[in-house]
Amino acid sequence: MIEDFKGFLAVYSDNWHDWGPQIYEAIWVTIQLTIASFALALVLGLLLALGKLSRIRALRAFCTAYIEVARGIPALAILFLLYFGLVPLGIVFDAFTAGAIGLGMSAAGYIAEVFRAGIQAIHKGQREAALAVGMTPMMTFRYIILPQALRIILPPMLNMVIILLKDTSICSLISTDELMLRSKDLAMMSFLPMHLFLLAGAIYFCLSWPLSLITRKVETMMQRGRRQTFGT
Amino acid sequence: MDAFFTKLATLGGPLLLGAGTTVAITISALVVAVVLGLAFALIRLLGIRPLNWLISAYVEAFRNTPVLAQVFIIYFSLPYLGVNINPFPAAVIGLGLNGGAMLTEVFRAGLNAIHFGQREAALSVGMTPWMSLRYIILPQTWRITLPPLGNYAIALLKDTAVVSAIAAPEIMFWARNLVTSTFETTFVYILAALLYFCLSFPLARLVDGFERRQRAWQ
Repeated sequence: MIEDFKGFLAVYSDNWHDWGPQIYEAIWVTIQLTIASFALALVLGLLLALGKLSRIRALRAFCTAYIEVARGIPALAILFLLYFGLVPLGIVFDAFTAGAIGLGMSAAGYIAEVFRAGIQAIHKGQREAALAVGMTPMMTFRYIILPQALRIILPPMLNMVIILLKDTSICSLISTDELMLRSKDLAMMSFLPMHLFLLAGAIYFCLSWPLSLITRKVETMMQRGRRQTFGT
Repeated sequence: MDAFFTKLATLGGPLLLGAGTTVAITISALVVAVVLGLAFALIRLLGIRPLNWLISAYVEAFRNTPVLAQVFIIYFSLPYLGVNINPFPAAVIGLGLNGGAMLTEVFRAGLNAIHFGQREAALSVGMTPWMSLRYIILPQTWRITLPPLGNYAIALLKDTAVVSAIAAPEIMFWARNLVTSTFETTFVYILAALLYFCLSFPLARLVDGFERRQRAWQ
């Protein structure tokens, strides 16, 4: 049993000179993909949330529809549509761009709902009171609205980063050269699928677990600072 | 217009077949996930340290790795250990184990939300521990966990798309096959996306209903 395990580990040390540099490179692509898609989702999500809360009916309808559709379709279907489905129409993305845009578009639906919940949770009396004591609208946003909204928004936002990090793995199916695809390629070449997929899983875990711990910490911190107020 | 409908009929058939498989995988994996999640959440209540550590390790491992990696490990690595497995059961086991980790947390939160006085009251009127669980604790837990459970079911339905990577014959798998044989890329992928939406949208409305009803109770 112990010998088996030693043999199992020896495979890694024997192949590391070959696998190591490729895996490091792929981890970097995964991180870049996570950051790019999250940045896109943040911007798009905020615009969608504001649109959904706007007074213009057409804009509201469009944003609501977008959010529903983005949340109802698997990210993979969006990726395939972007990467393969638009080619006949003459729109060609490289695999990384398609992956970042697809994941970002998909996550934007969730992030919009997070922003909306954060904005709506703040009683409008808060803003009125701040303006009444002589704060400028800018100060009101900076000192009254934002700190309270952040408390509601931050934990689900961090969760979204973790979800995106894990979801970048499906970009391997549209041949984005990230961790999952590289592991699969190496697995096919070396005929060692178990070693490589376990390695990939372990790497994702090492990236995601610290984020989970931080998220949990932030969640309890936000909970502690929270005081019951009337009317909200 | 006629050409459009012929195209829809020839391409829609296989995709609908795939939708059947998607639904079958979703339901099977949901059953596995609920059984695992509920069992682990209840075992956690027993307070046996080593068991709790094992369950925590399982939950953290499966929640912090991509489901695609989990499915790949099961599908491509088990043969290496001498166990051959078909795509469908591999997909159900992978998604089910992944969901079990999610739902362990959901059920734990649900069980924790029930005041311990409920159990004490049930025991003091002469119920056995099993009866208090069956008639007092679980019905209340169920009510609390229904909305997150529904949200999980929607996420699961969408996650089934990734098992096309191990050739489980669901919607995306058929879509890819149709694209290679007919080159109707745009049409097929839009149709596939629509099909997912048609499956998940009613489910989302149902969950909305649960959530609204729950808010009314509070």
